[in-house]
Amino acid sequence: MFERALNVFWIVLGAASAAYAWSLGVVGPAGPESGLFPFIASTIVSGAGIILLLRPSTQVRAPNFPRSSGLWRVLGVILGLIVMAAGMPYLGFSVASFITMIILLRTVDRSSWLSAVTLAFLSTASVFWLFGHLLGMALPRGPWGW
Amino acid sequence: MEALNGLLTGFGVILTPANLYLCFLGSLIGTLVGVLPGVGPLAALALLLPVTFTLSPIGGMVMLASIFYGAMYGGSTTSILLNIPGEAASVVTCIDGHQMARQGRAGPALGIAAIGSFIAGTLGVVIMTFFAPAIAAAAIRFGPPENFALMVLGLVCTLFMISGSTIKGVLMMALGFLTAAVGLDVVNGRERYTFGSVDLSGGIELLAVVIGLFGVAEILSNVETMAKTTLLADRIRGLWPSLADWRASWRAILRGSGLGFMLGMVPGGGPVTAAFMSYALEKRIATQPDRFGKGAIEGVAGPESANNSAVAGSLIPVLSLGIPSNPVTALLLGALIIQGIQPGPLFIAQRPDLFWGIVASMYVGNVFLLLLNLPLVGLWVQFLRIPYRVMFPVVLLLCVVGTYSANKNVFDLWVMLGFGVAGYVLRKLEYDLAPFVIAFVLAPLLEQSLRQSLVMSPDGAMILIKRPVTALLLAASVALTFLMFRRRTKTEGGLP
Repeated sequence: MFERALNVFWIVLGAASAAYAWSLGVVGPAGPESGLFPFIASTIVSGAGIILLLRPSTQVRAPNFPRSSGLWRVLGVILGLIVMAAGMPYLGFSVASFITMIILLRTVDRSSWLSAVTLAFLSTASVFWLFGHLLGMALPRGPWGW
Repeated sequence: MEALNGLLTGFGVILTPANLYLCFLGSLIGTLVGVLPGVGPLAALALLLPVTFTLSPIGGMVMLASIFYGAMYGGSTTSILLNIPGEAASVVTCIDGHQMARQGRAGPALGIAAIGSFIAGTLGVVIMTFFAPAIAAAAIRFGPPENFALMVLGLVCTLFMISGSTIKGVLMMALGFLTAAVGLDVVNGRERYTFGSVDLSGGIELLAVVIGLFGVAEILSNVETMAKTTLLADRIRGLWPSLADWRASWRAILRGSGLGFMLGMVPGGGPVTAAFMSYALEKRIATQPDRFGKGAIEGVAGPESANNSAVAGSLIPVLSLGIPSNPVTALLLGALIIQGIQPGPLFIAQRPDLFWGIVASMYVGNVFLLLLNLPLVGLWVQFLRIPYRVMFPVVLLLCVVGTYSANKNVFDLWVMLGFGVAGYVLRKLEYDLAPFVIAFVLAPLLEQSLRQSLVMSPDGAMILIKRPVTALLLAASVALTFLMFRRRTKTEGGLP
């Protein structure tokens, strides 16, 4: 079912993209336009989606998505990255990555609070020191200057 | 003679303290990446790519290339001792390598893997020394139509070699083209698919895509299971293989070297395919094939030689033609383009220092790797004690830093996350991600060649048929496509 829905998504995506590429112009008086290449690619996406959708159901395997604890671990990593991406501009790299690490260690590893905080502090400090200090990379800083 | 002169130039470039240090550092990181399961060479290259922006082009490329072939060396350690591949090309080493370790022969297994890798790696570079300039010289007269046809053939070869459904591969490739179209038109600078977003006007960042698809997606797959592993040996003794081991292995090493080199050159081939093909070949020609799977040393020697030789082979199309044969070489191509260098037939003539420096660094790097992997094997074994639950948050943090550092833009983190989740789901649905990355990197060059060809032709697309080399390359692409669909339809009994 999931794969069937994905194949429909490919068809719609390809069609919408092809329509947009067409609006950019495909071939003009001066030769090929900006839309030519994306139009060809979009048509292939839609075409491949149609072929995949037409496959007999015996060839469509149900994907083995995780359940229970495996699912929580995967969602924990995604949540951690969302917090990191959303928090970094406001909190700075150090604080955002410290919070992310705690989320990861608590949800994925189920570490105790003490070991999660210790490991989060050590790894954040090491990465900040390596990239921010040693390699001179400009990592975002929070309102408190670090 | 010209090649030898070039090689001397290369050694002149590489034998400086700074470049030797970068070659050693790359070999060290590569071995570590190979040893640690869950961190592949592609993710490592992507993470370290921003660091190379501060280096000279030669220093940066030497370091990136040495990470690539260093990972091939290190991958066998984890396969043999933990029965988990350190990276994808070492999957097949698990079969007989781990059985040898269970029989108390971890030392000879690790020894033959390292020595075989050294022999094959060096042989591969020797062939590359003479072969790459010859290919570049033949391709030097190519114009836009020939370049377009060559890239099409490379993409078709990639589809021919991928695992799983061809249609899914075609879809991934087209999606790679579409993703690369976001941003400014390469020819007239017009905005496409940006929908007024400032963040999209610069295009989708290569690093965010690669780290997402191969770094974050890999972590998501690994945390899902979090399998516990058992280290089979704390201390490794007797690394040097016995005379009987040598008798059984030397032919496999040579066969693996040749096979790996050839498969490395083919787009879509590369170290992973080379290792599997070598194992299949050794098993097929063995007098006692039933020994395979029970600790046959040829089952370690052949594939480990093949994956190292394939690295040298896979660098030939990217350096001499500008066509990547796998995602890692696609990233190397991207790294060169970021540095303002366009690999292709003119690359060797225009930047002999860079080309020959990379070649010479591979001779030196193979020696470094032999030293790192034999006397220091005990050190790498200690790294295997680090549990993945401790390692993955740090790797994830590195993914964030690597992605952010490319443009200093938080938007790239969202792109990385999006591609990470997409890569994880697509892997579950058996989509091969290699065509996506190769198409993403090649798209601007392919589009430019196509549009230049059409502009320079009074007969439109007929130029692609009228020029003999172009027609030949496109005919080969069509023939290969026909063969591919016929083979898949036959073997899978339905749609390809």
